Amino acid sequence: MNKLKIASSAVVCVESKLKGTVSVGSMTVIHPKASVIAEAGPIIIGENNIIEEQVVIMHRLKDGEEWDESRVLKIGSNNVFEVGCVVNASAIGDHNVIEAKSYVGEGIEITNGCIIGAGCQLTVPEKLQDNSVFSGSSCSLSIAPDRPPAQTLQLEFLSKVLPNYHHLKKVKKPEQVN
Amino acid sequence: MAYLTQPNYVKYACSCGLLKPITKMYFCRHCLKLRCGYCVCHEVDSHYCSNCLENLPSAEARLKKYRCANCYDCPHCFHTLSIRATSVTRNSEDGSKTASKLYYLACFFCRWTSRDVGIPDQASATGRWPERENENSETIASLIEYFKVLALKERIDKEKIFHTPRRNFSHFSKLGMTAALVRKRSGLPSLPLGRDADLTSLPTIVPSVASETVEPLPAEMFTTAPDLTKVTTLSQRFSQPDIQPELTSEMWPIHKHLFIKRSQRCRECEHNVYKPEYNPISIRFKIQLAAFYHIPEITLLSIGELKAGVPSEIVVRLCNPTQHLTSVDFRPLPSAMEEDLLWERQVQLCEERERKDSQRTSLTPGSLNTSLGSSLTLPASLTRQLTLYEPPRRVRLDVSSSVQLPSCGIVLPPRDDAAEYDDSAEKHNFQDDPEVVVWRKSNKAAVKFSITPDKTLASNEEVKCGFVLGYGYVNTMAALEGHKEPQRVELQVKVLLSLGTVVSDE
Repeated sequence: MNKLKIASSAVVCVESKLKGTVSVGSMTVIHPKASVIAEAGPIIIGENNIIEEQVVIMHRLKDGEEWDESRVLKIGSNNVFEVGCVVNASAIGDHNVIEAKSYVGEGIEITNGCIIGAGCQLTVPEKLQDNSVFSGSSCSLSIAPDRPPAQTLQLEFLSKVLPNYHHLKKVKKPEQVN
Repeated sequence: MAYLTQPNYVKYACSCGLLKPITKMYFCRHCLKLRCGYCVCHEVDSHYCSNCLENLPSAEARLKKYRCANCYDCPHCFHTLSIRATSVTRNSEDGSKTASKLYYLACFFCRWTSRDVGIPDQASATGRWPERENENSETIASLIEYFKVLALKERIDKEKIFHTPRRNFSHFSKLGMTAALVRKRSGLPSLPLGRDADLTSLPTIVPSVASETVEPLPAEMFTTAPDLTKVTTLSQRFSQPDIQPELTSEMWPIHKHLFIKRSQRCRECEHNVYKPEYNPISIRFKIQLAAFYHIPEITLLSIGELKAGVPSEIVVRLCNPTQHLTSVDFRPLPSAMEEDLLWERQVQLCEERERKDSQRTSLTPGSLNTSLGSSLTLPASLTRQLTLYEPPRRVRLDVSSSVQLPSCGIVLPPRDDAAEYDDSAEKHNFQDDPEVVVWRKSNKAAVKFSITPDKTLASNEEVKCGFVLGYGYVNTMAALEGHKEPQRVELQVKVLLSLGTVVSDE
């Protein structure tokens, strides 16, 4: 059940907490003290994601449910999870920015290009429209004409700098873990 | 500095009758009175943009409608917009590719960009962004012009009627200013005087015409569900009153409002109590007569259990912020009747002084000038300090407990910034009553007294107590103004303490 699969170019710090079956795509950066917890089913993280410190990504087990290998939480590519955000979403697409200290409740489906502003608390289960932008204390919603730009420079920088100061989780093949 | 954020437990009575915490008050060193934001004259010193910190003269600021020409606010969330650059490669005519930068405005809070509404990217970062023309601007300008001339005409007609010299103690001459000066001071444009103005014809204006027919609502209004993300909110509309966009696609960047630096002047003696430096970058003050630099500060240290009708003990800390030794004493608040009497007497005194003053000034040649005509010379009263006597106001102190105040006064040593670091500091030998002074440390002393909440108070009702704090103040201004010795004066201030709520007996 505790299968960890990390792509070779991914940077996953040892101090991060990965629980359950988690697979991390290439060029994805997971900072120390970030947690990715797969309770209900596997979490598959795509490419070029940044998961910053104190982020909690949960695939939460509901009451009376059991681990189900087929219930996958898929996180797309080019997403940024900023410091301290809590994400319990049921699906996450590509090019999203979950800003610092925001909260995404259970049953919310984040599509593509969405921005959850700093401190915004989303609790109503729904499928977000593409390029939705939530901001401010009242979570006012607007629709941006295009998605936020990818953080390629930041990713390159992090994947260069983080290994200098942190131990990384070893890249293992899933067979070896078992 | 916790007391800056905590609720106001200790309030002082301002000379204007309001109760305020000491942090929100000023102390006029010239007339030795407490002042608060409501009883000082506010004057605009300078206009500046809070984003680019550009300092604008007031005439220019008015011309620009008190908005910055270069900085913008987000029309969506009113946060300041930032300029962002993107690099694009352009094919020039000879086929080679040149990289160039294009700039657009972006809000880093709600991610609104100027591209959202189709404002073209600019080639230079400092360049002027396209302005939207207000279709009503001509009408507005013509209306303003019309009413300016109308106002002038009415004013001159009025002056024709009252041609006789005005009474000396009219509003303007009392301040030592003429009408023109007042206009100038308050930032209004000066009016062309008398005969120079052309008053024969009023400019023509086109009156608006009311129409019977109202445009019908579009059919989509009834057929399609409203998309709230495309409709602006009321605050977004009101932020652009000239356009009032209904759709988010019509929102344009808002020019940033200018901020002001203001100085505050004592109403009675016209001395500044607060004056910032003109430079918008500087956060320092030329004059800062905050009350907590001059009058003893009271902080609540501990409060005993508050029960209706049962005495309990409270401890307050007194702190002397001045460089001079001071003594404080406590007196009970005057009763309502005493206060009425006192008030009436003070009002009478004030009126009397005013009458005397006006008699005196009516004989001086300077005031004659003011009454004869505004354009002759500067009246002498402008250079002389004129005092404006303010009738005192009654202070409403709702007290819900009786206080047993210490009968003896307490001496507070001067403030010494180095005392904290000096272990061998001399011990002041004050003959303190241990029943009153709990402890003492440099310029602070903790004082204990007992209060009895009123018997009628129900549980969870607030207990308030008040007293008159008398303190000695050394007026150093007197030394500057020619008297040899700094004068020592005894001042009083009413203090109201909010002690919390009554606990029930159970």
